[in-house]
Amino acid sequence: MTDLVKENILLNAVTSAFKIEGKVIRDRRVEVHADKNTVSSILLFAKKQLGYIHMNHMTCIDWIEQGEFELVYTIYHPVDKLTLFVKTRIDREIPVMENIDTIWDHANTYEREMREMFGIEFPGLVGEHDFILEDWDQIPPMRKEFDTHKYAAETFYTRPGREDAKDVREELSKRSGTVVPDFAKKYSRE
Amino acid sequence: MSFIDLKGMLQPLGAVKQLFKKPHTIQYPYETNKASDNYRGLHFNDLDQCIGCGNCSTICQNDAIDMISLDNIDGKKGDSGLRPRIDNGRCCWCALCVDVCPTGSLNLTKDYIFVTDNPNDFLLTPGLDNPDAKDRLSYTCDMNTSLSLYDRVPMRELDGKERVKSFAEVVLGYSEEEARAEADRCISCGLCTEACPENMHIPEYINAIARGNDDDALRIIYDNNPLPEMCGKVCTRVCEDVCALQVRGEAVAIRWLKRYATETAPTVEMIKEIVDPKIEEPNGFSVGIVGAGPAGLTAAYYLALKGYDVTIYEAQAHAGGMIMYGIPKYRFPLESIDKQIQYMESIGVKIKYNTKVGKDITFDEIYTNNDAVFVGIGLQNPWNIGIKNEDSPGVISAIEYLKIINSDETYDVGKKVAVIGGGNVAIDGARVSARFGADVTILYRRRVEDMPADWEEIEGAEHEGINIVPQAIPTRIIKDEKTGKVIGIEYLKAKMVAEDGGRPRPVAIEGSETIYECDTVIGAIGQQADFDWLPENYKEDLIIERGKIQVNDLRQTGVTKIFAGGDSVKYGNSDAISAIADGFNAVKGIDKLLLK
Repeated sequence: MTDLVKENILLNAVTSAFKIEGKVIRDRRVEVHADKNTVSSILLFAKKQLGYIHMNHMTCIDWIEQGEFELVYTIYHPVDKLTLFVKTRIDREIPVMENIDTIWDHANTYEREMREMFGIEFPGLVGEHDFILEDWDQIPPMRKEFDTHKYAAETFYTRPGREDAKDVREELSKRSGTVVPDFAKKYSRE
Repeated sequence: MSFIDLKGMLQPLGAVKQLFKKPHTIQYPYETNKASDNYRGLHFNDLDQCIGCGNCSTICQNDAIDMISLDNIDGKKGDSGLRPRIDNGRCCWCALCVDVCPTGSLNLTKDYIFVTDNPNDFLLTPGLDNPDAKDRLSYTCDMNTSLSLYDRVPMRELDGKERVKSFAEVVLGYSEEEARAEADRCISCGLCTEACPENMHIPEYINAIARGNDDDALRIIYDNNPLPEMCGKVCTRVCEDVCALQVRGEAVAIRWLKRYATETAPTVEMIKEIVDPKIEEPNGFSVGIVGAGPAGLTAAYYLALKGYDVTIYEAQAHAGGMIMYGIPKYRFPLESIDKQIQYMESIGVKIKYNTKVGKDITFDEIYTNNDAVFVGIGLQNPWNIGIKNEDSPGVISAIEYLKIINSDETYDVGKKVAVIGGGNVAIDGARVSARFGADVTILYRRRVEDMPADWEEIEGAEHEGINIVPQAIPTRIIKDEKTGKVIGIEYLKAKMVAEDGGRPRPVAIEGSETIYECDTVIGAIGQQADFDWLPENYKEDLIIERGKIQVNDLRQTGVTKIFAGGDSVKYGNSDAISAIADGFNAVKGIDKLLLK
């Protein structure tokens, strides 16, 4: 179990075929990092040549500091019981990624979700633009710059009966009889 | 085809064989499905474990959490007394509140069914409304999964062997990067502010450091502490004892962050430029201050800012009181004190050095010539150890010894030293002796864990090769019959006896007399105030009980015009930050008295 033979064979097969980097995460888990243009080729190769016939999942991570979105394709070999993660990064400013619902039909659902939640475009993707959100007129809500707190405060009213809420910092200064000077207040907890 | 379909009539009877089998459909009595192990259902809060820091309420993106007072929970130091209440109409069970709970008191349970006709019932106070949910916890967070940062950025220090060679400062201070990382750990709850005797604006200045605005941090610090460099180095930091993070991990290094902020302004001019103190027009009142210790200096600083004419009378050649003469220079270098004093003088505080009240100037004179007087004399006289031969040459109190060394004079402790006591002063005396090459042993009545000294000081002493003998009760000092000089100390070993579940008390074991040969015995078992300078008529009116001056909240004594603070009054602990608080509060008192 611990010698990871199957995992290393898979890693070598993919990395040597496409000249990319990757690593064995642990037993039954292998990941590779690819350029966005080669992702569909890798997926097709894995499906047709290596037997990774099932796509488990497809997801996105917002790396706002680096100005990138990371897309992760999780595919599975039901006989070898191995999972391969294909990861790629795309520019956050030009969030366009190749549509792969021709390889797996159900990728369509994931791609529609990502289009709605992260604003990533998949040229040629067929499907309604409204997926879960209705009449959404803000920036895509899973992007990190989306202010969930502000949105919730503006959209949902506050139930009556919550007026007795207290601010911890204020309560403590009141009890100890101190006054936080105005110029310092911008550093207090909101 | 027959009219009677026998097969069709009998076949249903076959179902009888299922009668005693476990049904696949709904069971009776009715059982609900079990939720998965980390299911995120309704909240549960352990009300005793919760400290009311409000981090859950701050993180909630849906504004679903309020902090409210509960009838049976009172606030105390380290507990705001508030507890979270969840609006389950807004909650989306993301469980961020659980992930950021520093104490781990807030959890989610497996409860996912809650039916009610009244929408107001969705306001639930977890723990109060569902005490039985404690047994159904599912989504919890331990120290590995928590989003709180429990590990302190370590402070760089000189190596123990290197330290004993000189009086160079032991603690090296945070770099900018380290300070930002450490400040980032703070959750800004403010529980520390209540524990701090001076109620400093701790979350605010730490947040300013975290955001990279060191100037603002310094300005906030100077708002109610004019001696931050001293506090940043040697404060007893009771604030860190109540930090929300120390419940499970390490407290935010509040003291070191304050030190970092003060280090960003290395000169008097820079402090003045950054703090930019607003000095009001002279208001015509004058205040005389006895003693330039932390209490007197603090009162002087804020009085001067308010336009009072302030003069401090100091018996010694340097200002600072115990922080100048009682703290070894490897903890608090002379330049640091000088910088703070020069800054005070630059905003108009006058200090008369080498002026002992009662000798060089009478108290009557100060009393008559000023509109108010502040007394901050500290505790100057050491308690006697109370054993035989204590008056022999070679026996000295730690306070006197530290004063001699800090005044750049010399005192030969010889090759072997015994220090008696377990407080910070004892450790200071021991570590200073070690720097003169002596082999030092500390004798303490109780166990090491009972020592009132800071653990960092105890650890520092151990790293410097100082031997600590706990549970040792000194019985007599042995002197050479010819020269009269100390040659050793005799002590009894003690066992710890807990009576009535109280604090264990050391009881001497008979016949366990042990002799430790030494050249010097340093006593450090406490100090008392010296009131000899005070004329008799004032002594009565001031009300001095058990060696301490009695004062009210505004640090006003029995004499309307006289205020007092610091170690010689009854308020707070005997530490510098309490003295600063006394000085600060006395300013409010003097203001109230004179300006109304």
